[in-house]
Amino acid sequence: MEPLQKDRNTDHPTQDDAGIRGYTPHVPGTGGCVTGSGESIISIDHLTKIFREKNRTVTAVNDITLEVKRGEIFGLLGPNGAGKSTLIRILTTLLRPTSGTACVNTYDITKAPEKIRTIIGVCPQNSTLDVELTAYDNLEFYGQLVNVDERALDARIWQLLKMAELADRAHMKVQTFSGGMRRKLEIVRAFIHHPLILFLDEPTIGLDPEARREVWQQISKLNEEKTTIILTTHYMDEAEKLCNRIAFVDKGGLIALDNLENLKRLIPAGDLIEIGFEKMSEDVLSAIRENTLINSVEVKADHLHISAKNGSKVLPAIVAIFEKFSIPMTSISIRSPSLEDVFIYLTGKKLDEGGNQEPKPARGGRPS
Amino acid sequence: MIRGAIAIFKRDFKKFLSNPFVVIMTLLMPVMYLVIFGNAMGGTISHIPIGAVQEVPPYNDTPLFTNAVIALNHITQKDYPKLLDVTVYTDETAAKRDLSKGLIAAVVVFPSEVSNDHAVRLYVDSSNSIVPALVESAVRGVLAALGANNPVLVSKIYGDIKYLQFFGVGVIMMAIFTSTMFGGGIALIKDRENGIHEGYLVTPVQRTSIIAGIISSGTVRAFIAGFMIFLIDILITGIIIQSVQDFLLVILVIFIACVGVTSLVVSFASRFSAQQEYASVVAFLNLILFMTSGAFYPVIGMPDWLRWITVINPEYYGVDALRSIILRGQGLDVIGIDLIALMVFSGAMIILGIATYRRTLE
Repeated sequence: MEPLQKDRNTDHPTQDDAGIRGYTPHVPGTGGCVTGSGESIISIDHLTKIFREKNRTVTAVNDITLEVKRGEIFGLLGPNGAGKSTLIRILTTLLRPTSGTACVNTYDITKAPEKIRTIIGVCPQNSTLDVELTAYDNLEFYGQLVNVDERALDARIWQLLKMAELADRAHMKVQTFSGGMRRKLEIVRAFIHHPLILFLDEPTIGLDPEARREVWQQISKLNEEKTTIILTTHYMDEAEKLCNRIAFVDKGGLIALDNLENLKRLIPAGDLIEIGFEKMSEDVLSAIRENTLINSVEVKADHLHISAKNGSKVLPAIVAIFEKFSIPMTSISIRSPSLEDVFIYLTGKKLDEGGNQEPKPARGGRPS
Repeated sequence: MIRGAIAIFKRDFKKFLSNPFVVIMTLLMPVMYLVIFGNAMGGTISHIPIGAVQEVPPYNDTPLFTNAVIALNHITQKDYPKLLDVTVYTDETAAKRDLSKGLIAAVVVFPSEVSNDHAVRLYVDSSNSIVPALVESAVRGVLAALGANNPVLVSKIYGDIKYLQFFGVGVIMMAIFTSTMFGGGIALIKDRENGIHEGYLVTPVQRTSIIAGIISSGTVRAFIAGFMIFLIDILITGIIIQSVQDFLLVILVIFIACVGVTSLVVSFASRFSAQQEYASVVAFLNLILFMTSGAFYPVIGMPDWLRWITVINPEYYGVDALRSIILRGQGLDVIGIDLIALMVFSGAMIILGIATYRRTLE
């Protein structure tokens, strides 16, 4: 994978440049948040969260500055322990930042947490459903907590149950539900009061592929109702499939933020071509290297890894070279770089390798 | 097989040691049992307030009366404080009024002369266990020492009250406490562990509403438990409720006691995140509060330092109020102070609960 690795000090976009396009810092000194009027619904300004434990400190969120646009599906992508959940918890008023500010709609997270709670829906990573209650009761209970009009509540609950395809199980206890059903129920529950912003923390973690697809469909459906959705995930495909814009987070810091197309352009190499062979000759290699469209050629055991700006155009020429020297090919594959390749390029590690552990506050905290 | 057993042993032991709080409580428990249980139950009863009255006529104190009062006032066992605190009343009616209010535990009425046809009348508060017997033997002892052969007429002003009835009233408070501690409190912490509370925190629901909701549901549960035990008491111990008014008063006291105890539990249960820690604190509190409530044994038998705990113990006021109504048929005038104490306690606990309930995860 050497060819992908460039000098990271020059090409590596940090939060200072390429990452944050269209960011306008809100005016300091006004005390309020100017976000509400513009196209941004959330603006985070130099947000930092440091957890201090007995003899060590962990910077879970490190000086993050970004904006989320109204109506988009915004993805926070990063390995386990990158600080995604901590950032979500700060935005949902569950944790106070150590420094920096953040505005949700027109409210400052530290100054008007009550206001924020009325306009957000949250689906935390760990389920907060009451499994001893029925699906209907869970929704009714939550609806009352978030102040849904009592007259409209029943109709709303049935609407949501139908949306989650759980209407036939409305009066069954949640503990009889599968993981996917619980997740869908929890997501619609967060949506019961038509929140402006929906936070989904790892919505498909631990679900089978079928259930994940259903959850994705549901998220897309909710987004059609003009709700801004912020989701965290460490699954590439999830971010690729759902998100309008994606923020890469690693070790608490923001590494890149853009839409899928632009993120993929961050890799200078372009497409990847893999050709399998039984034996290789130097003539072939030097002939291939002569092609100006090709960035790098690398031999790996019985595979040739070629990276080229425009893979599909180069491929016929490469095949011609193999034929010319009568070298048989056992396989050919060509693919454009995935989000994972971008992440590896930016951080030098795979997404699911995990990084530093994120100190999760014990549920509800302990007496201290 | 051995390897598996050792592995399980090691794991359990590691977990045990990793929670120093529970370790300390585990070791402290037996010590506390020894100190509190031992003192609350085995303490020597002393300073029993009684009243002494001289029958009229004559209108001046007879030698029998003077000597008897002095003797009663100086009964002591070796190394212990004196048994009785004698107050001299000039009027029998006033003495009996104080007796019925529970200010004194007995009234002894002396006749004018030493003779075997003038009886010494002894009125005792029979709602109290042990105390009447102590007073009676003290009076008989003093008369014998003075060489007075007067007979002693004992009137139990509340009739014969069995220990079962005395204790049964205390058990109502215990039912309230245990149903709240082990039912409500554990449920609260389980909800916390299951993240139900984290779900509350991201909604606009107020901290006050959360506490009010938890306390009111807990109160109703505790009330059902207390009321059931009250009914069982009536069936098993044969206590008799004299009037509808008494019945309603009992219900009122049970209800206010439920609010108090539930608020206490909620105020500190919301600080715990682990069931084990909570359970060890609860066992401890249960011991202190129940033992010092006077449910088992008269508070008067406790050493002073332990009696101070009763002052802030909601169960003491609950037990006292219930006994006043059920065993003595007393009304609001007597139990008013208990109700006020319970309400002040509940109010303080509700405020504490709201103030300490954390709105964030930190």
